Amino acid sequence: MSGAPIENNEHETGRRSHKMLASTAAANAFQKQFGADLKRRVVDDGEPYAIVQADTPHEIFHAMDIPIVTNQWWAAYISAKQLSGRYFDVMTKHGYPENACKYCSLGLACTLAADPATAPWGGLPKPAVLVARMTCDCIQHVFTQWAAALGSEFFPMEAPAWEHKDPGWFARSRTEWRSVYDPDRIALMVAEMRDLIALLENRTGKRFDEAKFQHLMAQINLQEGMIWEAAQAIGTARPCPVSIAEQMPNTMIPQWHRGSDWAVAHARRFRDEVMTRVDAGLGAAANEKIRLMWIGAGVWHDPGFYQALEETLGAVFVWSMYMPFAGPAYIRDLDGRPMEALASRICGMNEVLHLPPWMNGWMVSEAARCGIDAAIMLMPPDNRLSQSGNKITARSLEDAGVPVLVIDADMVDAKTWDHDAMVATVGRFLHEKRLA
Amino acid sequence: MIASVGPALPHDLFAASGRYAGPLGWSLDRPMPFAARWMETKFAPWAASILEDWAAGAFDAYEAVVFARADDNAQRLYYYLCELRRQGVLAGPEPLVFDSAQGSRTTSLDRTTAMVRKLAARLDIDDSALDGAIVATNAARAKRAELSRSPKTCLVAGTAPPDRGLHDAIEAQGWHAAGPVLADVWADAGPPVDAGTGDPCAAIGRQLWKSPLGNRAVHDGATKLAAAVAATSASAVVLWYSEDEEAGVWHLPAERKMLDDAGIATLVLTRRPWGRDDDGAAAIGEFLRGVTA
Repeated sequence: MSGAPIENNEHETGRRSHKMLASTAAANAFQKQFGADLKRRVVDDGEPYAIVQADTPHEIFHAMDIPIVTNQWWAAYISAKQLSGRYFDVMTKHGYPENACKYCSLGLACTLAADPATAPWGGLPKPAVLVARMTCDCIQHVFTQWAAALGSEFFPMEAPAWEHKDPGWFARSRTEWRSVYDPDRIALMVAEMRDLIALLENRTGKRFDEAKFQHLMAQINLQEGMIWEAAQAIGTARPCPVSIAEQMPNTMIPQWHRGSDWAVAHARRFRDEVMTRVDAGLGAAANEKIRLMWIGAGVWHDPGFYQALEETLGAVFVWSMYMPFAGPAYIRDLDGRPMEALASRICGMNEVLHLPPWMNGWMVSEAARCGIDAAIMLMPPDNRLSQSGNKITARSLEDAGVPVLVIDADMVDAKTWDHDAMVATVGRFLHEKRLA
Repeated sequence: MIASVGPALPHDLFAASGRYAGPLGWSLDRPMPFAARWMETKFAPWAASILEDWAAGAFDAYEAVVFARADDNAQRLYYYLCELRRQGVLAGPEPLVFDSAQGSRTTSLDRTTAMVRKLAARLDIDDSALDGAIVATNAARAKRAELSRSPKTCLVAGTAPPDRGLHDAIEAQGWHAAGPVLADVWADAGPPVDAGTGDPCAAIGRQLWKSPLGNRAVHDGATKLAAAVAATSASAVVLWYSEDEEAGVWHLPAERKMLDDAGIATLVLTRRPWGRDDDGAAAIGEFLRGVTA
């Protein structure tokens, strides 16, 4: 599902993105320091930690002060270090077919390479546990093998079917989350989280503090509320004050640390900076003419892609899922039931981004809210989960008057990506649609 | 009548309904323009075939079709069909999803049992019908377990293929071919269900929770393959994985190692088209000509 912006690194096929906001520099600096601190805790100090998927309840770990390495963040880190191609080759040498799902397996590949001299951090040490929701057919197999390779344990969480299908979920997820996400699905995830807490207490010796958890949930509402406020301003402002190249890190980096004092303060700082730019009429591009929507995970190996057509065509990527997702996917009226509210946040996190009617319902609404002229959709060739829902969503957008360009590429595999060719393809599409 | 799509479904419950027509079929060698419009490339071709036929009204005679959450293609197809019905793009029977949870903790067992009860209620099946169906289905299971054995057996493992083309290639070399095609997997009622427990839904839930069927089962692929080799007394194995396979392929290295360690002749074919695989059949012929049973 979601990916992980980290500090920029020039890549052999990509381009650096340019940044305007002080918040962006601050977020990247924090994340760089966080990476160093996390490495110290996990590698140097040998503190018990967990490897987790992005769509798992990080809040549990934060409330227990257990460090986590998020698989997607780690994959993006590896990718930014220009090691993804090497590790894909490692997987092939280990006998896995080349078309095996890449996004979730880069961390496993790094472990299997067993080459501390070149691995980031020298490679990950043994975690206390690995946690993933079983949202696709491959993830439990990847995590089971990764756990075995690291000598640890895999804690799978169910991703149950969702029979209450509400295309307008995003308008009700804050207040009516019990019915939107199905009470029985919420109850299952709460029971699983209780099991996870028991396991973590057993493995780490740390205790789950309900009061601390409740405070964390309230802080997350505060944080995501400010991000959502900024997202709404970005949707209505002309020109767009902040490109997605800066929306992503300012949303995602605090989201990795959601509920922390720094994350709340950063969300406030970012919101204020966005509002200042809106008030001053400042745009991400000098001459905004075309407002673009990016559908899919970020192309982490080429962050400059998103700004490549700003100067020549005035084409600005004003929307990606990461920032507007903060509102409907994260904010919950707690009503004294923070664990259930958390379950409702997690149990649909992947589904609403990749399955109809949630995906298309939300994206059509978002395109209208943000005045989108055209959408560019990422279609990873070897990943059913990431492909899923794309064609129905593309059709829904086109029916709503938003032309869609589908590009076949992978979010972490730079081998199939050619910056100049991709930029040219988007440019041609915009000309063909008479937008440029 | 009702039908099904996918593995690891409650076949005893289907039998108790008295109106189960079996799994839906598919047909691959034809244009599928409707499916191409709505479905992405990484879906298994059978999913595209079912979508195409659904839109053409081929399943209109069914009251409902039950899709397996245990298979990612099947569960995603369920959501696609629900949405296309909602949009009025197609009609046809009511899509239902059976949500089996196969994690090792009791939370997953409880979930699966609850879903058995829910489907039984939806199909208006009572406990006494379920009790009778469990006994009858267990008898059918016992009968099917009487495998024919041959001194010269080659097992087809990996992705369950769409038809017996690979099996035919094996038999053309004078070998007995073992291993299920996809229709067999979907029709597999799984291991026996405890009979006479007084709570048939719970018994079916337990059976499905522990079942090795379905892609969501957390299992050791090499151990599962070793059991299949032992059950069929296979002296050769064709490990055949399709282009769209996402689950079993993660066990390929361990499966190869297990077979190498056991000294079993093995042919590995990956990224194969899930359809007529003439190159694969030719490779099987060449492979088996070099194997001494």
